Amino acid sequence: MIRLGLRNVPRNKARLMLIAFLIGIPVFLLLSLRSVDEAVERQTTVLTRDVNTVLQLRAKGSMGHVNMIGQDRLLPADVPEKVARIENVVQVESYLLAMAPITPPNFVMHVGLAPSAVKRLESHGEAGNPRIIAGRDLTPEDAGQDVAIIGKGYAAWAAIEPKDVGKATLAIDPSRTHPAIYGMNRPQRNLRIVGIYASGYVFGDLQLFVPIDTFRSIYGTDRRVSWVFVRVDSVDNVATVAQRLHDTVGGVADILVPKQAAVFTATTSRTVLRLTFLGGLLAIVLMIIVVFFVVLMQVRERAREIGTLKAIGASNGGVVVQFLTEAVALALLGGAFGLVVFRFLGDAVTRHLFALGIGPFLPSHYRPLFASLSVGSEISASVLLIVMSVAVVAAIIGSSYGVWQLIKISPLEAVKHE
Amino acid sequence: MNDGSMLPLIELRAVSKSYRKGGERIDAIAGIDLVVEERGMVAIVGPSGSGKSTLMHLVGAMDRPTSGEIGVGGHMVNRLSPRELTQFRRRTVGFVFQMFNLVPNLTALENVALPMEFNGVARAERADRASSLLGQFGLGQRLRHLPRELSGGEMQRVAIARAVANAPRLILADEPTGNLDSRSGQMIYELLQQISRERTVMVVTHAQDLANLANRVIHIRDGRLQDRPPSVAALRRGQESAPAQPSS
Repeated sequence: MIRLGLRNVPRNKARLMLIAFLIGIPVFLLLSLRSVDEAVERQTTVLTRDVNTVLQLRAKGSMGHVNMIGQDRLLPADVPEKVARIENVVQVESYLLAMAPITPPNFVMHVGLAPSAVKRLESHGEAGNPRIIAGRDLTPEDAGQDVAIIGKGYAAWAAIEPKDVGKATLAIDPSRTHPAIYGMNRPQRNLRIVGIYASGYVFGDLQLFVPIDTFRSIYGTDRRVSWVFVRVDSVDNVATVAQRLHDTVGGVADILVPKQAAVFTATTSRTVLRLTFLGGLLAIVLMIIVVFFVVLMQVRERAREIGTLKAIGASNGGVVVQFLTEAVALALLGGAFGLVVFRFLGDAVTRHLFALGIGPFLPSHYRPLFASLSVGSEISASVLLIVMSVAVVAAIIGSSYGVWQLIKISPLEAVKHE
Repeated sequence: MNDGSMLPLIELRAVSKSYRKGGERIDAIAGIDLVVEERGMVAIVGPSGSGKSTLMHLVGAMDRPTSGEIGVGGHMVNRLSPRELTQFRRRTVGFVFQMFNLVPNLTALENVALPMEFNGVARAERADRASSLLGQFGLGQRLRHLPRELSGGEMQRVAIARAVANAPRLILADEPTGNLDSRSGQMIYELLQQISRERTVMVVTHAQDLANLANRVIHIRDGRLQDRPPSVAALRRGQESAPAQPSS
């Protein structure tokens, strides 16, 4: 009867295409929501790793101030080394900051850091590493070189266009002053701009990232640093490391433990999971409804055939197996259609789905993350397994009423229309 | 009625079938007693609505009587469980329908093999048997054809081959020539007559030609059997066309 059920699948090709479409759309929706779910989980993982596990050290009593060179509020030179020795600390990144006056909007920020360090933005540093829109990022080979990457806003002020990247230079003049900025008696230095980034934030785009050795050479500073970012190996160990930092460098540094990111992670993950779960459920219900009507229609249309099969010796169980096979095959075909559509349209549709459906629930300053959301439309083994499982379950549940109806069909149906 | 070989193939005792239509009780079959022996062709004739098809459906266990006992091939049909009824339909009876009722997306060969598949016959054996049967019925060149590619006469021959596929003792044919032209109808008559040499063929028909070929003609009117003289054709063949026999 399984063979007979499979033979029945292509009986009406136009209808088969319609059914594949009707089942394929919920499958596509299901896969898209799953993709969003995965993307958000990935993003959350990144945030958890980059933010939730990162503590910031600033000079003691300097909260609310930008810890610029030329001030007293800098961390002692041995702080990064002491911090790196603490258990569960996996990375230590030192930042040096210097403000430079421009008109308007008054000043920009120069940041010295290891070329491979995360490029954090003033006030909006959570995600880090803003998107490079022209040229390239700094690389370890840039250490000690007179190169920099520049924010889009700063580049516009300096009249550096994307096409100029790699050739354009920017003059750094430490002697320039401003009511809030110390002038330093240092010569002007030209830095070659190798990349332009865009963060989406006005102030975030007014920064210049320079290899830290180059920065020290320009400003003539010692080994002290403005900020130290400390990455812990796990969220679970953040509190312990914070305590150890207090014990080790608490006398000279304030320690900022991330709280907002933790709240974000929890709320976002919960919201997204809830929405995708409901969406997935809706998709499965839609599949079940489609299967329900298809099987019911087939049972009614083929009542005479069912009656004939019973009259010539088919058992109820056999006919049920035949129709279930047909329903499962139809659902799998619909699933295959949904997979194909997902493969080609999944990425684009999912982005919009995410922005429209989940975006409103996220804190506003995280919305630009949508653009960087990496949504996968690959058809992996797990995706195939999900589609097959859902198709089989939807086929069995959806056809249950139709199956009940066909069990009740008498062999007499074979002659009713004669 | 446990040993079918020593007893009549079909035995009906006080069988009635009634149903309600618009609040009115209709007696389709009213207290019929009937005995049919093994082998030969039995024609059931009567006007439309007389109850002849209902009688056939009761004998074939497609329907249950309101009262009375029906014995077929040693089985008390009216007392069988659903599972036993399925076994009964597989092994004891074969149906031939007026509209052929072939499965449209199966070939002639597959249609004939289907009852054998239900009956647990091995794939190779059922293919051999189906092919052989279709060859005997003049359809050796049409094995792979779908029903829509066959003529009405060919479809009915496939349906007859399907009905005899499991070698049942009883073939029930409901107006088997009702949808065929006279030439095709004639072929079906001959085929049924040929089959009736080895098993019992009970045929419901309006066709006098087919009834004339029967060894026995049972007349039915208003759900009751009627006594009628033997047909001229039957007398000519020296055979007895007996009226309904009350059961002993």
